[in-house]
Amino acid sequence: MKKILWTVMVAATLLTQLAGPPALRAQESKPVKIKASAIKVEMIQSDEIKLPAEFQISLYEDLIQQLQKKGFAQVYRQGDRNAEKAADLVVLHSTVLGFKKGNEELREVTTVAGATSIRMHCTFSDKDGKALLVADVTGKVRFLGGNLRATYDFAKRTAQIAHDHFSPVAGT
Amino acid sequence: MSVGRKRIWIAGLSVVISPFVSASLAQEPARAVPEGSVKVVQITGLTGIKKNTGGILVVESGSLRFSHAEMKAEVATASMEDVITGADSQRVIHGTLGSIGLLAAPYGSGRFLSLFRSKLDTLTLKYRDANGGLHGVIFRMPLGKAEVIKKELLAQGARTTVPEEAANASAQSPTAKEQKQ
Repeated sequence: MKKILWTVMVAATLLTQLAGPPALRAQESKPVKIKASAIKVEMIQSDEIKLPAEFQISLYEDLIQQLQKKGFAQVYRQGDRNAEKAADLVVLHSTVLGFKKGNEELREVTTVAGATSIRMHCTFSDKDGKALLVADVTGKVRFLGGNLRATYDFAKRTAQIAHDHFSPVAGT
Repeated sequence: MSVGRKRIWIAGLSVVISPFVSASLAQEPARAVPEGSVKVVQITGLTGIKKNTGGILVVESGSLRFSHAEMKAEVATASMEDVITGADSQRVIHGTLGSIGLLAAPYGSGRFLSLFRSKLDTLTLKYRDANGGLHGVIFRMPLGKAEVIKKELLAQGARTTVPEEAANASAQSPTAKEQKQ
């Protein structure tokens, strides 16, 4: 009986230590945000890996839409002259690392085969080209949806990363 | 046959036929697509138009017009930096390997079979807005229509990174020539 009580107490102590005060844990996992009042999206680069034009455009347009949805007030496109005037501008460069075009029909029939995936290398840099954040992001479509849904998945993940690391007010 | 029976017979017949007549009449306006225009689906990119919106695409007077009900979008052909069809993309990506795959099947059946792979074509555009911002638009349309629209756009001032000569050259690769002999 003593042994059981002892085990339960040890387990309870370990659990409480692991869980910790909720507020403190949330603070620990939250990265300190970099000040960015505007973001400019550059066209997707696919020099080494050949990407169909529709995927390149879809990645670019989805990125812009998702960043706008995530609350970035100013999202500029490549070549936009207004971006030059923007303070605390972050520039997003994306390069294709890998691309596997799946098959929608095969996905629907088998549910295990025919997945489309795109692996991208994303660099968030400042106006002078200094890298602020680098991340490899993968976009996938496994079950439902056309091949272009992989670009939406990538854009959503990348926009979330941008949201987690950049803010119009520094440190928040 | 008495007049009464005739009336009943005609009334019955009209009741049976009427759904087909009304259905065919209802379909008539939907089928009517103005000459020179193509029914397309805008996958993404046009400002103010939702993703996957069906509509009519027309190329005239130096611009490309997409219309869906009351929504309209227009892009000047002079602002288009690149016009690429789905077939162009495939040629650029698969190149010689793709042609070998198609030619491997006997008596050109590979090319015939390839028609069943996709009954739809895509047209991808890159254009600049007034501030110099780069935009991309993707349209999906019936097979073969993208090439026609691309030609019209190029004739009206649009540019492309995959010109027709280059496309023809890749189609007539050395492997293709060997197979023909």
